[in-house]
Amino acid sequence: MSRDPVGTEPEFEDTDPLRVRLMPFLDRYGILIVIIVMCVVMWALQPDVFFSWRNITNIFKQTAANGMLSIGMFLVILTAGIDLSVGSVLALGMMTLAVSSASGVPWPVVLVLSPLVGLAAGFVNGVGITKLRMPHPFIMTLGMLFMARGLANLISGGVPYSGLPDPVRFLGSARILLGEIDGTRFNLPVVFIFTVAVYLIFWVLLEHTAFGRRVYAIGGNPQAARVSGINVDRTLIIVYSICGFMAGIAGLIMAGRTNSGFPNAGLGMELEAIAAVIIGGASFFGGRGQVLGIFGGVLIMGLIRNGLNLNDVSSFWQQILIGAIIVLAVFIDVLRRDLGTRH
Amino acid sequence: MNKLQGGIAAVAATVVLGFASMAAAEETILVSMKGPGAGNPFWAAVERGAEEKGAELGVNVVVLAPPSESDVAAQIAQVEDQLAKGVSGIVLAPTDPNALAPVVDEAIADGVPVVFVDTKGSNAGVTYIGTDNQVGAALAAEHICANVAAGSDVAILQGIVTQSTGKARADGSNAGLTACGLNIVAEQTGEWDRAKGLAVMENIITGNPNLAAVFASNDNMGLGAIEALKNADMLDQVFVVGFDANPDAAASVLAGEMSATVAQNPYNMGAIGVESVLTLIGGGSLPPIIDTGTVLVTMENAEAFK
Repeated sequence: MSRDPVGTEPEFEDTDPLRVRLMPFLDRYGILIVIIVMCVVMWALQPDVFFSWRNITNIFKQTAANGMLSIGMFLVILTAGIDLSVGSVLALGMMTLAVSSASGVPWPVVLVLSPLVGLAAGFVNGVGITKLRMPHPFIMTLGMLFMARGLANLISGGVPYSGLPDPVRFLGSARILLGEIDGTRFNLPVVFIFTVAVYLIFWVLLEHTAFGRRVYAIGGNPQAARVSGINVDRTLIIVYSICGFMAGIAGLIMAGRTNSGFPNAGLGMELEAIAAVIIGGASFFGGRGQVLGIFGGVLIMGLIRNGLNLNDVSSFWQQILIGAIIVLAVFIDVLRRDLGTRH
Repeated sequence: MNKLQGGIAAVAATVVLGFASMAAAEETILVSMKGPGAGNPFWAAVERGAEEKGAELGVNVVVLAPPSESDVAAQIAQVEDQLAKGVSGIVLAPTDPNALAPVVDEAIADGVPVVFVDTKGSNAGVTYIGTDNQVGAALAAEHICANVAAGSDVAILQGIVTQSTGKARADGSNAGLTACGLNIVAEQTGEWDRAKGLAVMENIITGNPNLAAVFASNDNMGLGAIEALKNADMLDQVFVVGFDANPDAAASVLAGEMSATVAQNPYNMGAIGVESVLTLIGGGSLPPIIDTGTVLVTMENAEAFK
């Protein structure tokens, strides 16, 4: 299900047959093993609660917004870029949605506002990086981080707006009743189905389209990509636009979930998205990583939060653990590369 | 391609969770605070009040908070996860009342009673336990009335008046100062911010050189106002009263710069919160608002708030 990326993957010339057979398997599915181990540990700590239907659906509800930001961020990081603005763009989309809803804009318009605002912000990022020739995506998106946050506060006056029509809340809060056993209702959050669908779309996009190949190629070696006839600027503008669009979708989800737009929405979420992408195995230097890995990275962050919450642990531990995991994850990758190249 | 990298690290982290497992008790009350008690004396006092009351009444009290007061999503997730775990009642100080409203509705629908502490939520019919800010602001106004000559010029630095706290403090101080015959020359917002409080105060004293007192709706703006007054050499003539009794303000009161501030009673919020939610669990009922009280902090008692 995955393709070798351009140029950066170390070759395994090792002759040890076990390692030769094991490494690619661990590379691809190691993250799933990790998630399973985490689930087992959490189940052991909270046997009555962890695998309850309600807790499992909670995890997906809680990670959905980060899931949207992370998959957009993944695209950007594949091109060896970064988008620091996604948290603020989420807030801008959400506040635009909430303010326009409060001022009587009909719901079909409100529904598409957040993704469109996100798309526009992403497009501006892309144009800034390519056409204004910003020295690094960091600069342009850092600027957008402040501009989008400021704009969100400007249109809302920095105060929360609440009360959204049901169709607008559908994506973020609706549940489908699957059935009832012994009086316990089994609801499936719509946002879970949506998340799976989005990740499938991105998988197809990256693995099975010419656009996906261009994205990997630009991250692997932008010079070579340009020489081989890829319109790098155009591809980058599309990539940043998609990333912004996904931030807008995250804004729509969070608005639905909270039935409001609130000024602090998305604060610091760009870093959570970057963390999920790194934990999910993408290379910060571009060209390397898989959609399945990102899904795993998002889930691991959600599982840590959920596990700590269920065990009544201070949220400071969440910060410490996630930080430690980022460092450890990359360090293990460094060791692995050493093993792969040294004989 | 290196799925392994997130791997081993995450397993290690999960194992760390091991130390966190706790024994189950009969009744478990979740106290979900806006911010962590560590580093913030206010929330530390809420936590202490809740835990001591829980121990006294023989219930298990779990205190959780997001890493910062702006992390709304983390608080929602904590409440959801604890609901899934099966808590009996929730004492909630919402980081954002509107955003927390759906999960409060969910709890109530599950038969888990909820009370708000510190910040009033937006759900109808849920009891609010906290400072009556109007009463607290009136207390500050009374202190100003007792210390400046009748008919003097006074000013009010408002918080954000679209928020209930900002409005209550603005209304309470206005009513109190008007009642004792002072002349309110300015009522402007410093948006709870020290720098903005400073700037607004500069403008007010430029237009009102005979100003005798100012009520700042929180200490941050009060401390900003003091800077403005110092720069204009007017601090001797202007009586400054703040609100919140934060450590900086207490130090300022002790230094003789801020005249007084108003303290809330966070310990009571935690204690009364736990007690009240137990009343609801037992099938009892509560009044819509429970005032946890305010005290005036002056030179005499400021040491305790540093």
